[in-house]
Order: sequence, then structure tokens, then C-alpha cells
Amino acid sequence: MLEGGKISSKQAVLLMVSMVLPTAFLFVASVITHMAKQDGWISLLLAIFSVLLIAWPVVNLSQRFPGKTIFQFPEAVLGKWPGKLVAFLYILWLFHISSEILRQFGSFMVTAFMTETPIIVFELFIMAIAAYAVRNGLEVFTRVNEILLPIILGMVFTVNILLIPELDFKRLLPVYADNGVVPIIKGAVMPAVWLGEIVVIAVLIPYLKKAEEAYRVAAAATLITGGVLTFSYVNSIALYGPETVGSWIYPSLNKVRMINIANFLERLEAIIMFVWVAGGLVKISIFYWATALGCAQWLELKDYKPLVLPVGVIFLALSILAHDSVLDLYTYLSTSFLPFSMIFQLGIPLLLLVVAVFRGQGGAQQ
Amino acid sequence: MLCEVKERLNRINIDSILETGYIEELIEDSPWSPFSTIGHTERPDKVAAQLLEGRVAILVDGTPYVLTVPLLFVEAIQSPEDYYERSMFSSAIRLLRWFSFFVCLLAPSLYIAVITFHHEMLPTALLLSLAAQREAMPFPAFVEVFFMEFAFDILREAGTRLPRQVGQAVSIVGALIIGEAAVRAGLVAAGTVILVALTGIASFTFWYSTSISIRLLRFPIMVMAGILGLYGLICGVLAILVHLATLRSFGVPFLYPLAPLKAGNLKDVIVRTHWWAMLRRTGQISVANQQRLARGLKPTPPQAGDEQRK
Repeated sequence: MLEGGKISSKQAVLLMVSMVLPTAFLFVASVITHMAKQDGWISLLLAIFSVLLIAWPVVNLSQRFPGKTIFQFPEAVLGKWPGKLVAFLYILWLFHISSEILRQFGSFMVTAFMTETPIIVFELFIMAIAAYAVRNGLEVFTRVNEILLPIILGMVFTVNILLIPELDFKRLLPVYADNGVVPIIKGAVMPAVWLGEIVVIAVLIPYLKKAEEAYRVAAAATLITGGVLTFSYVNSIALYGPETVGSWIYPSLNKVRMINIANFLERLEAIIMFVWVAGGLVKISIFYWATALGCAQWLELKDYKPLVLPVGVIFLALSILAHDSVLDLYTYLSTSFLPFSMIFQLGIPLLLLVVAVFRGQGGAQQ
Repeated sequence: MLCEVKERLNRINIDSILETGYIEELIEDSPWSPFSTIGHTERPDKVAAQLLEGRVAILVDGTPYVLTVPLLFVEAIQSPEDYYERSMFSSAIRLLRWFSFFVCLLAPSLYIAVITFHHEMLPTALLLSLAAQREAMPFPAFVEVFFMEFAFDILREAGTRLPRQVGQAVSIVGALIIGEAAVRAGLVAAGTVILVALTGIASFTFWYSTSISIRLLRFPIMVMAGILGLYGLICGVLAILVHLATLRSFGVPFLYPLAPLKAGNLKDVIVRTHWWAMLRRTGQISVANQQRLARGLKPTPPQAGDEQRK
């Protein structure tokens, strides 16, 4: 076996939450507000619901081929060469997404904290730690996540609760009347794609101790992530109002800047940096692991560990080449990224599922 | 686990074993880790308690130190006295130990990071006071703290080697007088001296083996904090956390009750819950007989109906 680790369902839920939440927490609020103004929370709820649907084909497909990740079962469904092609497309998609995530992380650190430092410095450090974690296997970063995620969630809640004196829920009004259905649906597309990254669970399902609980894991993770995002989003709008939130790239950063405890402790965003760095580390580790594992499985190697460093170098290079600036990144994330990802999250799994059902494969796992 | 220990002991091929430390290095799981994965102690009561938990103890003729296997990371803040005092006080002291664990590891680096990179985080009054101190300093914060920590370690090591009568005097001379003189000469800021002293004292509150690992790891984190500020500090901490997650002690994950999270076993980690609440032994260590006490041992006053029933 390429990867000997096995994780329990609870650990898998925590892992999947960490997989989506950290950078979503940073970027999603602003994009939604552009589209849906103050009704963004309705968009988020819509997005959660649609991701619960999007996750279903992938999980179902994985459960029909136990012990095989998404890089292995297209061969069983479509035949050797078309299957290999589909797996290769997924590897490319994972490379792409991982370097996007790395870039998002680096951009945030540069924009928010040290603007003179080149992005590669931040990315290099986090990649080095992620490479160390990935090289040691799935169980390592799962354990790290088990310790970090409660701290991250705790700090997110603390930040939001500390801001209660400054909230004004009237900024959330009027609900629905300003917008109508179309902007709300437009606003739901981006979080749906973002939360839809949960389909990477297809790489994780063979390593769950109880693979039959996979959909429950995906659904629980989506609900938790969506809940935290919605809570944070409502807080942001109530704090600043839709126009301001839409004009910033990082509303959550500015939220933290507003914390003022007894006129004594101010400008605490450096403490919250822990949330972002720790969350970024786990998210990058998971995608890094998925990509390295995918390459190894596609090439039918015995072990993915020698691939860890080369894959990391490719991520670093791609993340620098991909965008010129954070604005370029932001535009990309709100427009071209969405249909591109949708193909891999919904399109291809649905196609594969239809073919698999048509060929009557693997029904016993239901 | 006993078979594994015996197998590893049989593998040893050395001219003589003078101390259990020799055995420790020859059978441990991670020779290159700064953290020790095998516990050692001089106290018979601690060894007895660990045997009751299901661990294996290794005794060597001619030395009072006994090795116990496996070791969990959370034992760094556990001490036998915790179990002899009442639960509320022990819990408070445990929390204090956790706090001083983080102080020992992070305080110098936090100081460097905040003073050099993130001074907007300090409240204004504190910032003015620190800025006034640093105004006349010849060295940047990183160099100052690094050398003071280094000097403190020199003093500490010298203090353990000196004969008993002279040792006390020299430690006091070194710490107080040289420190005072350095501040008066304008070489180091007073805040730095306070910080280094606090860090040093904090390192004595928890278990010795972990404290020596932490004293070692302080320095790389200081360097990281000096390079990239709080980001460097956080990266250093995360790197240590990932390293801890990779360690196993004779098959048991080193971070055991915390990660893989087993909520029932957390009763002894952050706080020490009452004896009547500790129903089961530690999961992965005692596999066979997990029951420690019977249920319902909490002392309660007799209920209203009992009088009549008697």
C-alpha cells in the first residue's frame, strides 16, 4: 500500500473542515457581497445545500470501488487509457488548486502583515513544514489538525464575540427586497465551488477506517464549515455594512483590527495570524498529500515519499507564475476559477457515476 | 509491548551498561528527536503508579534511575505530587505548568517578534516605556535576547557543577550582580533581564527531560522570530508540533490523549479530575484491563430516605 495510515471518521471530519475553511474564511465574504449585497448569508445557505448535493456523486462513486482513490477508479470505469487520462486531469486540477491555495496564503501574509517581503519567503516556510508533515504520512497532519482546529475555531469565535458591542444588525436589512433571486444565486456560486473542494475526500475515502460513513463525514464537514462561514459573514455585515465589506479584499482582517479590549489591547491581528498560518498549514498539507499520492498512484509507484519534494517545488513555482498581484488572484477566484473547478467537482464525477451505473459496477457497497 | 521491550533489550551489544541513560539511547524510537520518548524517574511511587497503569519499567543495577516505557508528551506537566493533593489545587498548578511550558518556549521569541516587527500590538504606555529603554541600546533586540539567554544557560550549567558551598554564592553573584551591572552599563535593557529570568524559572516548573528539550528548541525559534517576526515564531511552533505528531513511543502516538483525541483520557491532561472520576486507565497503554475503579465512589452525604431504611 502506498499509504499505511488509517483515520477515524471524527478525525476525517476535522480534516475536511480544515481543508476548506481557512482560505474560504479569508476570501469568500468579499466576493459574495459584490454579488448579493447584504443577503450574502442566504447565498451561503444556498451554497451549503448545493454542496451537500455536489458531494454525493463523488462519495457514491468512491464507495463503489473500495480501496481505490479517485486516481485509480476511473480506470475501472472507463478502461485503462481513458481512465488514466481522467486521473491525469485530476492531478492537473489538484496541482492547479494547490498552487492557488499557496498563492492565496502568501498574498494574504504579504498584504496584511509584511508588505515589503517577497511572497516566496512566506510560501517557502509553510511549504517546508507541510513537506515535513506530508512526508511522514496521513496520520501526522491529521494529528496536527486535531490539535490545531479547535484552537482555530475557538479563536474565530472569540474574535466574533469580542466584536458584539460594535454590531448593528440593521445593516442586514432589507432582506431579499433589494436584490431578488438572481443576485443571490450568483452570489452562491463562488462559495459553492469553494465548499465543493470537499470532493477531495475522494482521495481520502480508502484511508478511512469506516468507508461507509464517508457521506456523513462530507456532510458534517460541509455543515460545520458553512456554519462557521455564515456566522462570520453575518458578523462582518453587521459590523461594517455591505458597501464596505464589498470594497475590501480581506474583510475578516479588518474585523480583527477593530477589536479593542478595554482600550488596552488593540491591533491584535498579529495574534490572529496564528489562525491563518495554522489553518493554511493544514489545508496546504492536505492538498499537497493528495497531489503527491495522486502522482504516485497514477505512475503506479511503490511509495509517494520521493515525490514530495519535487511536487513542492512545482507548487512554489506555479504559485509565483500564476498571478501578477493579489488583485489578479482575486479576479481569477471570482470568475474563471468557478466553471473550471465545477467541471472537476461535479461534471466529471457525475459522468463517471452515470457510466458506472450503466455498466452495473460495484453496486455491493451501497 | 513487553515483548517489544525485551526484543530491543536483547539487541543491545555493548561492553557495559553503567546507567539507564545508555539503555535509553539504545532502545528509543527516535534517536534524532530533541524530545525523549522514554521516561525516567528516581521515585518508587511514580514507578509503582506507572506499573499499575500497564507500562513497563526497566531497572538497572547500580543506579537509582528507572526507565519507564511508553512515554506520553502530556506527562511533561504531570508530577506525582499532583495525585496526593486535592484535585482543585492540582488542577490549578497543572494549568500553571502548561502556561509556564509555553512561556519557557516562546517568551524570548515573542519579545523579539513584538519589539522588532509588531510594535503596534503593545498598549501605548508599555510601548513608550519599552521604546525609552531601547533608545540607548547598542544591540538589536534579537542579539540582546540571544546572548542573555545564552549567558543564563552558562550560569545554570556552571551552577550545577560547583561545590555546594560556593555554588549558591556564585549563582547569586552571576545572576544578580552581573545582570544589574550589565543593565547599569547600558549593554542590555532591564526588560530583557526580567524576561530571561522569567524564562529560566519557568523551565523548572515541569518535568526535567522536557525542560531540557524546550531549552534547546528556544534558540531556533528565537532565530525564526528574528527573521520573520510573529510569522517565523508561528512557523517554528508548527514545525515542533508536526515533529511531535510524528513521534511514537513504543507504538503509542506521542501526543496520545490530545491527538488521536480520546476525550475520556483527557481527565488527567489539562486538569486533574477527582480520583473517583478516573474510572479507566489510559487507552492505548493498558489494553487488557482498563477498569481502574468501581463507579459511584464519589463521597456523598446519605440521602433522605437512608435513615428510615436503616
